[in-house]
Amino acid sequence: MRGRPGRGVMDFDPGVITRNLSYLLWGRLAEGDPGGLLLTILMAVSAGALALVAGVGFALAAWRCPGTIRRLLFLSADLIRGIPLIFIIFWLYFLLPALLGGDVPGAAPVILALAWFSSAAVMYSTLAGLEALPKGQREAALASGLSEGQALRWVLLPQTLRNVMPSYVALLVSLVKDTSLAFIVNVTELSTLAGQVNNRTQLYPMEIFLFTAALYFLLCRAVSLAGGRLARLRH
Amino acid sequence: MGFHLDWSGVLAGAPLHWLVTGLVTTLAVTLAASLLATVLAVGLLGLRVADNRLARGAARTIVALFRDTPLLVQILFWYFAAFGLLPGGVRDWINADHPWAVLPANVPLISPEFLAATWGLGVFSAVFIAEEIRAGLQALSPGQREAALSQGFGHWSALYHVLLPQALANAYQPTVGQYLNLMKLSSLATAIGLAEITYQVRQIESFNAHAVEAFAAGTLLYLLLGVVLGRLLLAIGPSGAGGRTSEERQADARPAGEGRHGL
Amino acid sequence: MTQDTLSPPLIEFRSVHKHYGTVPVIRGIDLTIRRGEVVVICGPSGSGKSTLIRLVNGLERLSAGDILIDGQSTAGLDGAALRRLRTRIGFVFQQFNLYGHLTAAANIALAPRKVLGLTDAEAFRAAATLLERVGLGDKGDRYPSQLSGGQQQRVAIARALAMRPEILLFDEPTSALDPEMIGEVLAVMRSLAESKITMVVVTHEMGFARELADRVVFLDEGVVLDDAPPERFFGATGHPRAKRFLSQLLSPLHQVGG
Repeated sequence: MRGRPGRGVMDFDPGVITRNLSYLLWGRLAEGDPGGLLLTILMAVSAGALALVAGVGFALAAWRCPGTIRRLLFLSADLIRGIPLIFIIFWLYFLLPALLGGDVPGAAPVILALAWFSSAAVMYSTLAGLEALPKGQREAALASGLSEGQALRWVLLPQTLRNVMPSYVALLVSLVKDTSLAFIVNVTELSTLAGQVNNRTQLYPMEIFLFTAALYFLLCRAVSLAGGRLARLRH
Repeated sequence: MGFHLDWSGVLAGAPLHWLVTGLVTTLAVTLAASLLATVLAVGLLGLRVADNRLARGAARTIVALFRDTPLLVQILFWYFAAFGLLPGGVRDWINADHPWAVLPANVPLISPEFLAATWGLGVFSAVFIAEEIRAGLQALSPGQREAALSQGFGHWSALYHVLLPQALANAYQPTVGQYLNLMKLSSLATAIGLAEITYQVRQIESFNAHAVEAFAAGTLLYLLLGVVLGRLLLAIGPSGAGGRTSEERQADARPAGEGRHGL
Repeated sequence: MTQDTLSPPLIEFRSVHKHYGTVPVIRGIDLTIRRGEVVVICGPSGSGKSTLIRLVNGLERLSAGDILIDGQSTAGLDGAALRRLRTRIGFVFQQFNLYGHLTAAANIALAPRKVLGLTDAEAFRAAATLLERVGLGDKGDRYPSQLSGGQQQRVAIARALAMRPEILLFDEPTSALDPEMIGEVLAVMRSLAESKITMVVVTHEMGFARELADRVVFLDEGVVLDDAPPERFFGATGHPRAKRFLSQLLSPLHQVGG
């Protein structure tokens, strides 16, 4: 499988890319089975949305309930970040069908694993953002009769989400890259399909993996750029 | 398959031997890639803070290329594509047997898998380590550099004597985080068939279907490695480096003025 | 002054104590402030003056003693009761603390909408009126970062007024301002003092105290050393410690820290 002797940079053949372009970009979308770059984007977006909701929720819980709940949240976040992401995928890939007892679409365990993993980072970033707000913001809200919950909802959280936006964008970029781990369990996103094409054609690893890397690079850049726009827009 | 646990399928016989081999391999690839990452990070940081636009531009490009593509694709690239570009003699030498370069538990250090994984992990981590330290430099008040320059320090001597010592102390903990991350990311080398912990766990699973026990053993091994490695690195670090997490640093680095009401 | 002594007590400090850990900050204060009075609290830094007014609206918890508002005990108030109390007390901070994500008008309208349950239209109409009152009628759609310090503090005063409070507490409202902006804030405070709302003002602005205060309370190391009408406080019979404080305040070489 390793690069064959006798082929170098000089023999670069873009034909293998054009022949497999639609497969790498959206897999078997025509048969109702999205794959490739499209599936990568779908997985990153859904895992990102789940991670954002869960992570912000965890951060609010940790903010409002110091003590045992906060310590438990920290402990589980550190635990989840202490093991390789692959293992979280393994666990969910194995446990989800066992627990739900039925057919689980292949991408679902990976999406959940990515969301779970990222939610820990979202929690830490959000909590840091809340704690970095000047403490006068909370005091001013309380002084005018708002409850702790109202102060959080109307004064602290809106400012935190805006301030932490750059971290969220960075986390989404990481998520895009982390979807490639679906390769390990054969979910047909971009990396897996690139591996398939490489196995099938055998002769063009340079072309295939450079093209794949370029797609990821452009996607990550696009996310960063759009995120940066969004953050500036809301000022 | 039920959920009653049977550890004999994991902690005895061939599976146990595989796990030990996996652990040694993970340790070896982590150590080798860490050393490589350190050397490369120093070079990259040097470019990144050089007093020369071309050097800084080159460093920025390298950082962007390796930071914005998945490590897995990078490893696949090094293993499947870049390895083929090496001269035939070198490839043959790497593929040959090297009894002197085999660790206990039969772990070969000179193999395409080990070298590609070490190189891939090393390059990828170097980018992140260099960026952590650069963030530490950026977090210093501009006054530090100005004070040094007005006392007659040059660009590099100000960096070396005044800025880097503070930046390293500030960035120590997040940098340790990057080395721990390297250890965890070595699990991706299973994709090119490096027989480290993750690879062995999957092998056990397909061998005797003791999935839960095998996953649990792997999970615990990584957790344990992380705790030991983390303690070790923090213990040898500067004493002032405790207590700052990368999140805190991120929070510090957020755009100034938000929610603060300066005049 | 004469009719104030006849008006009923509104804030009564009863042997109030506050300590942080083992460090005492307020060490037994008895003080009565009557409805409609303007009371200036001054003293060297660390004397406990900010803590004293932060105890009134429960931003700090009492360690011992009680504070009666309108005859009602406030010690141990929490939850909805504390929030009800806070709606009756406006608080103006040294650092303004305007909400960074909201415009000036939205800053003023937030608590009336969310706490008093006003409709958006009502709250913003009231906010516009208040902005006129502090001389910022044209700045309603500006964000805090687009306003000068003096303008931010005037918005903050309007925000405090939006809840129609019976009491206004000021915590060094001009200390964070550049000198040229102090005047505009003091002008707003002067018009408030003349409207006969009850005001407790922690400040080093002795001109304000001399001109507008009914009483000046001098605090040092957590106790009240002097409590007198301005003519007596600034006059020959004032407390010797207060005199030293005042002379240091006037001599820039001995400037006390904010």
